[in-house]
Amino acid sequence: MSFKDVVSPFTAWKNLFRDPVTIRDPLNDRPGAARYRGFHQNDIEKCIGCGTCETICQNGAIDMLPVEGRATKQGDSGLRPRIDYGRCCWCALCVDVCMTGSLSMSNEYKWVESDPDAFRFTPGVDAKHWDHAELGYRRPEGHRLTAEHRLHMGEMAPEERIGSFAEIVDGYDVAQAKLEADRCVACGLCVATCPAHMAIPQYIAAIRDGDYERGVSLLYETNPFSGICGRVCTHKCESACASRHEGDPIAIRWLKRHIMDQVSVEQIRRAVGTAAPSSGRKVAIVGAGPAGLTAAFDLAKRGHAVTVFEALDKPGGMTRFGIPEYRLPYEAIDQDVDIIRSLGVEIRCNTRVGSDVTLDELREKHDAVLIALGLQLGRATRVPGTDHPDVRKAVDLLRQATAGEDFGTPRSAVVIGGGNVAMDIARTLARLQKQQFGAVKVIVTALEDFAHFLADPDEIKEAGEEGIAVFDARGPQQVVVEDGKVTGLRTWKVKAIFDEQGRFAPSYDETDELFHPGSMIVEAIGQMTDTALLGDALTEKLAWTRGRLQVDAGGRSSEPWLWAAGDMVRGPDVISAVADGHRVAASIHTAIMTEQAK
Amino acid sequence: MRTLYERLKALFPLGELTEQRPDMGFVTVPAEHLRPLLTQLRDREGYTHLVLLTAVDWIEEGQFQLTYLLCNRGAARDLGVRVMIPRPAVGLATMEGIHDLWPTAATYQRELREMFGIDFPGSPRVDEEFILEGWIDIPPYRRDFDTRKFSEENFNHRPGRETRDPAQYMKQQLYPDGK
Repeated sequence: MSFKDVVSPFTAWKNLFRDPVTIRDPLNDRPGAARYRGFHQNDIEKCIGCGTCETICQNGAIDMLPVEGRATKQGDSGLRPRIDYGRCCWCALCVDVCMTGSLSMSNEYKWVESDPDAFRFTPGVDAKHWDHAELGYRRPEGHRLTAEHRLHMGEMAPEERIGSFAEIVDGYDVAQAKLEADRCVACGLCVATCPAHMAIPQYIAAIRDGDYERGVSLLYETNPFSGICGRVCTHKCESACASRHEGDPIAIRWLKRHIMDQVSVEQIRRAVGTAAPSSGRKVAIVGAGPAGLTAAFDLAKRGHAVTVFEALDKPGGMTRFGIPEYRLPYEAIDQDVDIIRSLGVEIRCNTRVGSDVTLDELREKHDAVLIALGLQLGRATRVPGTDHPDVRKAVDLLRQATAGEDFGTPRSAVVIGGGNVAMDIARTLARLQKQQFGAVKVIVTALEDFAHFLADPDEIKEAGEEGIAVFDARGPQQVVVEDGKVTGLRTWKVKAIFDEQGRFAPSYDETDELFHPGSMIVEAIGQMTDTALLGDALTEKLAWTRGRLQVDAGGRSSEPWLWAAGDMVRGPDVISAVADGHRVAASIHTAIMTEQAK
Repeated sequence: MRTLYERLKALFPLGELTEQRPDMGFVTVPAEHLRPLLTQLRDREGYTHLVLLTAVDWIEEGQFQLTYLLCNRGAARDLGVRVMIPRPAVGLATMEGIHDLWPTAATYQRELREMFGIDFPGSPRVDEEFILEGWIDIPPYRRDFDTRKFSEENFNHRPGRETRDPAQYMKQQLYPDGK
């Protein structure tokens, strides 16, 4: 035995002066380990009631239930998870999958109770002493069951796209779309927010399964403009997506487009099916935009004879004559419209109601008339100088650009407005300038500051990449005209857009003045409906509310034979127009099948 | 780790070395070379301790992955040896045991027999129940074992349970007429 062997046990003596690691009173005081998985905590303000915890629970321990005082709203079901601890196995999959990070587990695990039902409660709602416990299981940093970021969408480079009107966005290929679809937890919170209430989780599941026929059937159940919406929808659904809380929302719009990209016209026709046998009823629709054609689609499917009257030479309405081709190629519009035509819908282009045919004639020859006129007239700023012929309206220029008319591309232009239409005309002008003069000189001036901008962030970013200068919080004061020629726009800095009552009444800082040079000024501050075709007598007879035709929930006007739908009723938005088309078609169908509408 | 790998590679048909950490690596070896490789590691390379033996179900590939994690205490290094074996769709997979190299392996082998359905013929008590008493289903760590279905079929719900589908509930609350 060596000396060391004799002495070494005494080295343990130094531990006498250490704090004990054991628990003094283990019978009463038994804290869980720091990351112990004990009873749940739920931050119910953060929770959105998506039910993903319930779905993943392998023991069926979680129920989603309404909570008193918590209302259902966009992006929040108002439900909250109730957990049955008789079934919970404390695996924490619910915490790991939680889309908002609201759900966690405290390290509290001891609870003695004689009533077994007490062990079923709603964390965060039914108060417990561990609700604010600091310790417990939280999803570790970077540990995610669903991918955080959306699949990158390929785009044409700015220098390449500015020279043409070719479509910018590539679309996903099958592998990319599957990966993006895999990120969706199918909670369905988005469905309520979509104006057409499309079956979003179901069609995303169809992509995951590679079953595009099922996908296109699901799309056409609610939206005959899926090719168009897959490209230019305002995708409000994505603002309600559960994935947006701790990552990017699912690219729902691009996935819809992906389905349409993958199917043949034959497959779409099969999905759409055929029209019902003829009902003997006839419906006239004025305007071949999304609302009018959606109604035509629904009514034709139900066996009614539908004729659509369109003043312009091609159908599509604002999707064709408002939205530039680089965002929405004309073939995509043609495909959607052709499917609607294949159901027997007759579309008469170049037929302006009011001059080529009168509304009275339509009324006499049909059981019902639907007007879906859209918002075709540009609003004016009425600032001094706007009566000059080189001050134009964005909607007119966009229509002319689609028609291929030469409206005299200016070498430099100033656009007034900050919405998507302003960006559309600015980017259209930029392309025309690039083609004709080789250089882009377009300025956009918007009332709103960048924090409250109306146009999509993508539009602003892409416009910037294309050489367009965007000035925010600028109010137009005067179009400057020298020697009979427009030389530019004078603006003041906007202090506030609305007054204290919330009415539109911009106030300006007059000391902050800018001059934006340009030989053409384009107003893009909003649109209104041209209701001239109604004629004086009918206009007088109809009920109106604040300049808009008054209609009931089904789109029926105060005249029983006349319905209205789309942008002229709902304001500008493709998917809202589609939803409105469905609503109005249902109302017309009921009316013409049950009553003598005339 | 790399020099050890080079030495072993001269003797055995090893796959790529994955260096997880400076003191931890993984190699793959065909099943028939496992025992000689483990013996070499234990007797010549100082990897005297079997840390654990575990499995992964690669159901799509029709394979089980076995991982034998060894430790060289002197060098404070771990080496994981991976073996891929065929995974029959039904019934047991089979692998040669290593309980004669490390007696503790018998416990792991008994666990894998129960949880994955991987048999190690001749391993002590391998056919006895391990932690699942009276198990009636396919081995629960196989990925085709449906945990949810099993729990629904075997454990009653207490009365008073009810739930709502979020999308349906939102429809009921926000647009009951479907429009």
